[in-house]
Parts: sequence; structure tokens; C-alpha cells
Amino acid sequence: MGIKKKIKGYESCSGCGVCLLVCPLWRSTGSMAYTRKGRAKAMQGGVAPEDIASSIDACFMCGSCEPACPEGIDIVGMNLEQRRRLNESRSSYPAWYPKNEIHTSSRNSKLPQTNTILMAGRNLDGDIKIVENIVSLLGGDKSIAISDDDGRDIAAAVEAGLPVPPERIALFISLLRNAKNLIVSEGILHRQLREWLPAKKVMGIGEALLNIQSIRKALGPDDIFIVESRGYHSDFERLVKFYDRLRKDTGCLMNLDLQRIAIPTGASSLRGAHNRKTAGCSEHSAWILKGRKFKRIVVEDLSDIEVFQEITDVPVVHLSMIVK
Amino acid sequence: MQIPVIEPGCIPPDPVSPDSLKGIPRQQTNPARRSIENWKGFVEHLRSQSVLVREEKSESSVFVTDAGGLAFGLPHGVVRPNSAEDISKLLKAAQRFRVPVTVRGGGLTTEGESVAFGGILLDMSSLNKVLEIDTKAMTVRTQAGIFWHQLAEILRREGMDYLSAPLNLTASVGGTLGVGGIDVNSPRLGCSCDQAIELQVVTPTGDIMHCSETENPELFERVLLGYGQFGVITEAVLKIRKFSPLTMQYYYYASLTTAIEDLQMLSKADAADYAGILTILDRAITLLVAFDSDERQKDFEKKWKPKLRGHGEFGFGLLMAKYYLLRPWKIEEALYIVSRRFTLFPEFNRAEFMRDGKIIDRTVVFSRAVWKFWGGRQMVIPDLSAKAEKFAEAVERGNAVCRKYFKYYTLYCVGIKLKGNLPRYEMSCIPPDASDIAYGCEFEPMLRDTDYSRDYLQSFKNEIYDIGVDMGLSYYRFGGMMKGYIRSVFGDELVEKHLAMKKAADPAMILNPDVIF
Repeated sequence: MGIKKKIKGYESCSGCGVCLLVCPLWRSTGSMAYTRKGRAKAMQGGVAPEDIASSIDACFMCGSCEPACPEGIDIVGMNLEQRRRLNESRSSYPAWYPKNEIHTSSRNSKLPQTNTILMAGRNLDGDIKIVENIVSLLGGDKSIAISDDDGRDIAAAVEAGLPVPPERIALFISLLRNAKNLIVSEGILHRQLREWLPAKKVMGIGEALLNIQSIRKALGPDDIFIVESRGYHSDFERLVKFYDRLRKDTGCLMNLDLQRIAIPTGASSLRGAHNRKTAGCSEHSAWILKGRKFKRIVVEDLSDIEVFQEITDVPVVHLSMIVK
Repeated sequence: MQIPVIEPGCIPPDPVSPDSLKGIPRQQTNPARRSIENWKGFVEHLRSQSVLVREEKSESSVFVTDAGGLAFGLPHGVVRPNSAEDISKLLKAAQRFRVPVTVRGGGLTTEGESVAFGGILLDMSSLNKVLEIDTKAMTVRTQAGIFWHQLAEILRREGMDYLSAPLNLTASVGGTLGVGGIDVNSPRLGCSCDQAIELQVVTPTGDIMHCSETENPELFERVLLGYGQFGVITEAVLKIRKFSPLTMQYYYYASLTTAIEDLQMLSKADAADYAGILTILDRAITLLVAFDSDERQKDFEKKWKPKLRGHGEFGFGLLMAKYYLLRPWKIEEALYIVSRRFTLFPEFNRAEFMRDGKIIDRTVVFSRAVWKFWGGRQMVIPDLSAKAEKFAEAVERGNAVCRKYFKYYTLYCVGIKLKGNLPRYEMSCIPPDASDIAYGCEFEPMLRDTDYSRDYLQSFKNEIYDIGVDMGLSYYRFGGMMKGYIRSVFGDELVEKHLAMKKAADPAMILNPDVIF
């Protein structure tokens, strides 16, 4: 599925405020200035990005606001562009900004010729057991290859609004060209990959695993499944139906609000990864669970496990681990 | 007639037309043009009391206009209160320094009532916490800056729902209680403000008061439907109910009057849990009815459905085909109706918002549709409210005005059950001669594809408002009616009575200036 071309920017914001309702920062700060609406209206009023730097930096880039926007504004693109513009004019950066350089060469020396490539990314980094389990569930080495170059440096740069050299992008995607399906754990890369490789099917770990019957069957009404928000919102119109079918099939709860927007914990954002406490991840997670009855939390994004473990005694497991 | 001498710096009332708009400072868009004596002293005074006034442009720009998108103004500063005490300190200082304070919730006004033309913009949306849900007493205590949708999100986690609220995700509780609030279930449950049991209010002089029907009832009745003139609502205790999904049915009419008569028949008989009319131009008129329970639906189908004169979709489609085949020059209109039908109605049936053929999250479904199909950078929605006997004529006259001004438009009609003869209804959206059920109609042009000048839109609104004056009606969005109409509609005696009350409650006349007085 290709990216829907949207050209509307902050100048098109009517100020309806629907984006506020799904914004985790609005929920935690109660301040309009920290929301997408706040930034759009400020810029309509002639304010420069550096004057609203704290708001631009605070955004989780969860993408919740984009599907909620009735004007169809390319909000995620606008957020990324504002970070890029802000970076052009400032000399100091928040502590969570990525320190690592963009890779100058691809780490992929060679990838097996498979239909599907898995890019584990920062979210699954270091958990070989989980990565191996995912590969096994998805048909083993012959069906799926793990890309050493999972684009995590690109994902971090994109999120921070830092430039990614075209040659790095070319390197990154060069070895992906033979595959039909890309399973990408870094949700923020989904929209980029759809733009760079429009013929590929880009999906998150959740969707890939939930297409497996044994995993679907292992989910039930006692589970709450935590959808990774960035990938979900990047393909909302399709995935909202996918997850609605999951709910019907399994009866499981999800971290979706009344507008079917995925409430993020913020843990996988650069801010959250740097400091979960200052990013308010516990508060966001507590809101996800509030008033809901469940016996197990199943997460798509590995970085959500610790956040939930901090606030509840209920077992928290990765989706790939719910079947033996 | 002797024309009075004009004192420098003062524009007196027009001696020929005292209710003319002279002196209303709505054209001022730059706060620097409205100098406030000792502004710095005012800000310092508040800072010393731990109330922060935000003067950065990045803060004030957010509030430059309202949902109407036709009035523009900037405050000198924004206050985002953390408590009723903050508001109390602000209003006490505002009285002393004579600084105007404009209160804003969701900013869904259409004539600039929540736009600050200088002074302080009090952004109530920071007071958005639900304080207590009592499922035994079936009430919720909430801070009043919360949006109805935020409240719905929290209530739904407890299996609860509010009674009625505007079909708009970003309307605030406090703002709604101050102006009325209409839902599709208002023929049954009345204005949203009628679900309030108790309020915490900061008066214009900064006193924090509690009020209800038994405690400070006079204040309670003045603040509800008071258009922000008599206090800032900071907390509300509201009735709630158990959440239930709803089933919806549509009946199609070619005549406005017939559809209105059927709507009134159903509303009077309490035949459905929700009832309203939504039109595409004045050709495809849809009567929507919906039910919270299967029992109510069965009862309706047995007793009332046979009496309705509307058609099913297929039958109405044939009627429309015949009508437009005989009028080929209206092909563009026919295509518009068809395209509207096939884009709008599926929005009411999106799979993710349905369970077993019933709509869950009705507010999300309707509100998304409202913003998607009727929203925009400018929203022009003049309206009329009338007693039952005058309503059909009012709608037909308003429809003729819409026809004259716009190619495409929508009418939305609904009943409003009255709770009795309450003081709160005086000089409000409830017409003075209505009893039992009042009816309201919004006249909303579709502006998206055409650029209209502000003058054109204003002329349209004036013609609708003039119908109200001529027929002795009131206005759904009474606060949105132009200030200059208020005396014409309600008469000097009633306006003077309210003005005297306002002066007594707000000696410096600082709270929400320029909305009513």
C-alpha cells in the first residue's frame, strides 16, 4: 500500500482541536501549547520554530493526531519538518537527541533471497531469543531473513529531525529490493519505507505475528494487547479494520481509545528511551490500563514491557512469546 | 431629537438606533491597540500570587479565533489556571485593575465570544480532571474545562456515559453548561445544562461558591445558560447513565414541513430515545431516530413507525430519480445529493464503531462526521429556536434564505425538552413562549469549495437572525447571536433587568465582555 499523498500543512489547521483529544502530551500537561494544535496555531500567528522549541521537542511522534485530523493534514510530516527546521536554527539539543552518527556503510553484507525481511530495530535489540522466536513463527530461515542493517540510525535521525544523507538511504534500501514484505519493528520507519519502496508491503511485528492462527488463538478476553502506535497510525485506515477483526476473533482488549487511536506509552520514543520517568511513560501506561479488566498484558513493542512491569503485577509478555 | 455631545474617547449609543453595534471593539486584532492602564502592575500582582500570565505570542496565537473563524483578536496574556483559587485571584485582580477576562473552553463559539480582544484569555482546558464517579448515585464530579469527549473516555472505562452533550468532540463541559448544549437526545433529556446537579463557580468578583437547586439557587440559575456573564464554572456534578450502544433508523422525506411534523409527533410522544432531522439541501430530508434498547425500538416500530410519512431509502431513491429526471437542468444538484449520500452515511456505519449492528461511541461517530463534512476554517451556523407551533414556518423561511445565498447547505433540527419554567431559560436559547418542548434548527452552508467574503456570510447570518426578530423566536446558539440583536429580540425591559444583575455581580464588567453586554 502506497502512502496517501497529503500536501496540507500547519496553514490548513482549522483549530478544531480533535488532535488534542488523542495527544499524550495534552493528557499529561493539559497545556494547549504542547499539542499539535498549539504549534499549528502559533505558527499561523507568525511564531518561529525556535520560539516553540520545547513543544516541538516534547512530541513523542506517536502519530496519534494524524488519523484524528478531519482536515487530512500530514501531521507527522509536519512534526518532522518542524524538528528539522528547529535543528537548523539552534546550537544546543535536548539530552535525548541521538548521539550516534549516521552509518556511512550498510551493515548488510549479504541477505538471503527471501520474500520477507525482518528489521528488528532498537525495539527488539539485544533479545536474540525473541528475534529467533519471531523468525521461527514466521516460517524459519528459508522464509524470512534478518537484516543486519535494520535502519535504527535512520529511524533515530528521522525522529530527531536530523538529516539523513541520500546515499545512506540508498544503501539501506538496496538490499531490501528483492523482498516483497518488510517486517519493521521501528514504527517510525513505516511511512518512510512506503515512500522509498512503494511496491513493498510494510508491516509491524504485531500484524505479521497476528496473521498466524496459533498466535491469534492464544489471545483471549483476559488479555490486553498493546499495539505499537507509530506503525499503526501510519497505516490507520487499513489497520483499524485489521485490529477490529482481531478484537472480534479473540475478544482481547487493546490500547485503543474511543476514536480507535492507539494510546502510546511513549517508551519507544527517543525521549522515552532516554528517560522513561521524565517522558511520563508510567502515567501513559496507567491510563491505558485504567478501568480495564485483564489477566495478561501482551505487547508488540518490547520497550513497553518494563513500563508495564513497573506499574502492575500482571504478567507482561511479548506477542511472540505467547505460543510455545 | 437632540444629538448628545460626544466626549473625547467615548462613542455613545446611536440616538436613532441604540442597539447598533457602535463601540463594540471586535475589529481590534492587535492587543497593543487596546491599552490597559497598568497592565504590568496587573501581571506583577498576579505573579506575586503565583498566577502566571503568559504573554508570549506562541501562547496567545492559539486563541486568535474561534470555531466561527470570522472574528480575530489577541489577548494581552493567557492564564492557564491550576485551580478555582487561581481563577479567584485572577478575577479579583481583574476587577481591581479593570482588565477584561474572556473565558474559553473548546472555543466553539461562532461570533468571537471566546476570542479575547485584549485583556486576559482564561484557558479553562487545563482544568480537565474527573474528580469522582459515583456509580450508585449515578453522578460524576468533574472539572469544568474537560471536553465532553475526554469525559466520555473516562466514563466508558467504568461502563458509564453522560446524558447529553453537543455532537462535538471538543466542546467543554463548562462552556456547554453556560450556553445550553443540544444533543440528538435533547427531545427526551433536554439541554445538556439540565443534567447539572451542582456547580462550583467563581463569581466575577472572585468568590468561590457552590450552587445547586437548593444551595445558592439564584446563582445556579444565572450561571446555567448564563453565557459566562455571572461566573466561571470550575466544577460540575452531572447526572450519568449506564452506557448502551444504539440502533439507528432513517426515514426520508421530500418535504421539510412533513418531516418536521413527524419529528414533533415523535418528540411529543417520547417515541424514540434520539430524534432529529438532517438534510441535504431541502431535497433529501432525513429523519433520524435511534434507540438505547431493543424494547424501546420494538415499541416504536409497533406504535409509531406506521404513522411516519417518510420513505425507506429505496422508495425515496425512486422518488428522487423521478423528480430529477423531470428536471434535467438540476443534474448538478442531483449528483451532489447522491455523492453526499454515499460519502456521509457510510461514516455512520464504520465497522470499527459498530457492534452487532449497533453504533457504539455515538459521539465519536457523529462528531467525526460533523468535523469531516461540516467543519472547516470558517463555520457559519446561524440558527433559530421556536416553540412547536412556529417551528415549521421558521425553518421554511430560513431554508429560503439558505437557498438564496448558497448552492449547498444542510439543516439540522432537533427538539429540546424543557425542565419546567426555570429562571435559567429567561433570555436564553429557549424561546420565551415555548412550553414542554422547544425546537431548534441550524442553517449551515457548505463552504469548503467556494471562497465567500466575510460580508456575504454576515449578510446571510443577519437574514436568519432577522427571521427570529420578526417571528419572536430565540436562537439555539444564543451566545452566537450578534450582540446587536439582543435588545430587538428580548426587549429593553428584560435586557435592562439582566444588565442590572450583571452590573451588581460584575461591577467592573470585566467577565466575558462583549458577549451579551
